[in-house]
Amino acid sequence: MLDVQDTVSTDSYVDPITADPSEFAAKVNAWVPHDIVLKDAWFPLAHSFAVVKKAARRAIYSQPYFLWREGSAAVAAEFHPADGLTGTKSAYSDAAGRYPVIEKYGYVWCWFGDPANAAPEHIPSLPYLPEDGGLPLHMLGTVRFDCTAPLSLENLIDLTHADFLHADVVGDEKMDKETVEVFHDSESITMVRTCVNKSVAPIMKIFGGVKADVQQVRQVIRIYLRSHAAIAYGRFSPGDNVQLFHPCVPETRDRTRLDYAMNTSNVKKSNLFRYMMPKASYKVSRQDSYMTSPQSPRYMNPEKRKDLHSPLDEAGQKYRVLMLALAERQARGDFAYRDNVSADCSEIIGYDGK
Amino acid sequence: MAEAWWAVARSEEVTSAGPINVDIADQPIVLWRDHQGAVRALEDRCPHRRTPLSLGCVLGNGMIQCGYHGWTYDGATGHLKDIPNLKSEVKFPRLYRAIPFGVAESGGFVRVCLDAAAPAPAPVADRLPLSGTVNVALEHEHYIAALFDDPSLVVNIRGVRFTPYLLAELAEQNGKLVLERSCQWAGFHWPSPFSSDFPITLRIASDPVTGECDLLLRDDSFHPLLSATLAPVPAARGVTQVRWRANLESNRPGMRAKLLGAGAPLTVHSAIDGAALRVLKPSASIHAATLRNEIGNRSASISAALETGEGDHA
Repeated sequence: MLDVQDTVSTDSYVDPITADPSEFAAKVNAWVPHDIVLKDAWFPLAHSFAVVKKAARRAIYSQPYFLWREGSAAVAAEFHPADGLTGTKSAYSDAAGRYPVIEKYGYVWCWFGDPANAAPEHIPSLPYLPEDGGLPLHMLGTVRFDCTAPLSLENLIDLTHADFLHADVVGDEKMDKETVEVFHDSESITMVRTCVNKSVAPIMKIFGGVKADVQQVRQVIRIYLRSHAAIAYGRFSPGDNVQLFHPCVPETRDRTRLDYAMNTSNVKKSNLFRYMMPKASYKVSRQDSYMTSPQSPRYMNPEKRKDLHSPLDEAGQKYRVLMLALAERQARGDFAYRDNVSADCSEIIGYDGK
Repeated sequence: MAEAWWAVARSEEVTSAGPINVDIADQPIVLWRDHQGAVRALEDRCPHRRTPLSLGCVLGNGMIQCGYHGWTYDGATGHLKDIPNLKSEVKFPRLYRAIPFGVAESGGFVRVCLDAAAPAPAPVADRLPLSGTVNVALEHEHYIAALFDDPSLVVNIRGVRFTPYLLAELAEQNGKLVLERSCQWAGFHWPSPFSSDFPITLRIASDPVTGECDLLLRDDSFHPLLSATLAPVPAARGVTQVRWRANLESNRPGMRAKLLGAGAPLTVHSAIDGAALRVLKPSASIHAATLRNEIGNRSASISAALETGEGDHA
């Protein structure tokens, strides 16, 4: 009952997802996510509320980032403000040891890469987050994954895992029909999963007031490759839409930090789902880590033994190939953005502002 | 291994009251302190009948005497100096000697190098006041990997909980393997997988060959709270002998940091929880071997270049 189709954008770049199945398979199986370190990207290193006068310490691939405020302005530097710039500094910061910073969508975004290439238009489009931030604290939180960031995102983009790993939260695999569509460009990949008559998510039954036994579901995962940041947007009928921002910050090559934002302001204030759904991340993230933690060391080194795949893995396979293509391009010294990640993606994800 | 300096004893363990036995992998070594206070190291084997010299005694002249037939050796050179039953002033050929090893003492550790001609290591100025020795039934390589991947299997720092999260993964810094792990104060608090920030970190800097580690616990304002040196040495039968020294900073901001001093701040476990170790996922340690090789190859290249340069000059 699975239909898989792919809509490829038609811009001028050479699409790394080749029509040659053997070449595609070779790239899919050359997947060593532990070795992929993409540069020239904005990372949402902290919720805006977490950046205060006292310095907070963050990291991107072990590179230290100290965040604090000078007046109302967020500052990011390689050094702790009490220590100042001592010793050698990296090429990722300016002469004073400071990184490019932008505050948007309720996050403090820091640039990882050549500071000269930092540009506001490289911040991803997140249609359902207010640009000036301001979401209430109960919609925000931090969870961590004991794995490399690309594995966490590969986990996310294959939502069939949710039917098994998170069945007690979002419902099981029982449904009449499932369709998966995959869209991509050089900087992002979008997976749209449509489920007909899927068993209702328990969290919607318990807290959301959904009485029906089945619901129509359209789930979208859109990953901005360089920033390791994902949109997870779900439309449920009956039920409320789920609007999650899922940024995976690679603190090291084997540990991932997720400062999430689950915007449930579309849900009635009297509905418990508005308050409980953001907290589901605490349960869901541990369920994911239960699998991705033992996975991670097994993807740290190249292996001759190939992974097995099913048609359901197409989005994940393309994610692998696109990430590898970006990494290969950067290895050749090409750090240019060939597609605009900040262009409004509402239409692509099917978000109508409600 | 031949050129490495291994911290095989704490200074206070080596006295002139009697020799002690240690080993570096499968090489048994006898240690003692001579009449002038210098530490001596020879193979722990009398060349006469292969008995351990550590079963003998230290004489008033600082030499070591085998407990079996009384053969007596000079600690600095290993030369045989006396066979008491000969009752003569005979001089023994140079062949008659026990193998000597290089010895250096500083910072409260006695370090031995299996190559007696190796240049002495840079001395360590500070002697950390707290110390101990444990023998752990785990091979050296796995011991260090456990320390990298989950320090709680190896040590306990009073009131500190190690999280699985690193602020800096294992990388080479100034010839050492360095990582920094986020930690929490023990007790009731928000679980680490859901925590945004952590109040303390543990930095581990490890020698790529010996695995000797400098540990630094500091708070989020970079105040040092506890520093320690762990010196794991591979011993016989896969055992790792660990000597450690530590210092608790006297000025420790915050109540939790102050409580570090309410009892022993650092404990080094003498036994590893095998069940926990078996299921411990390799993480921080996974590239340790590669990093060690890179550092080793670089050192070898530099040495070769220096030798070539010296040869050309000559």
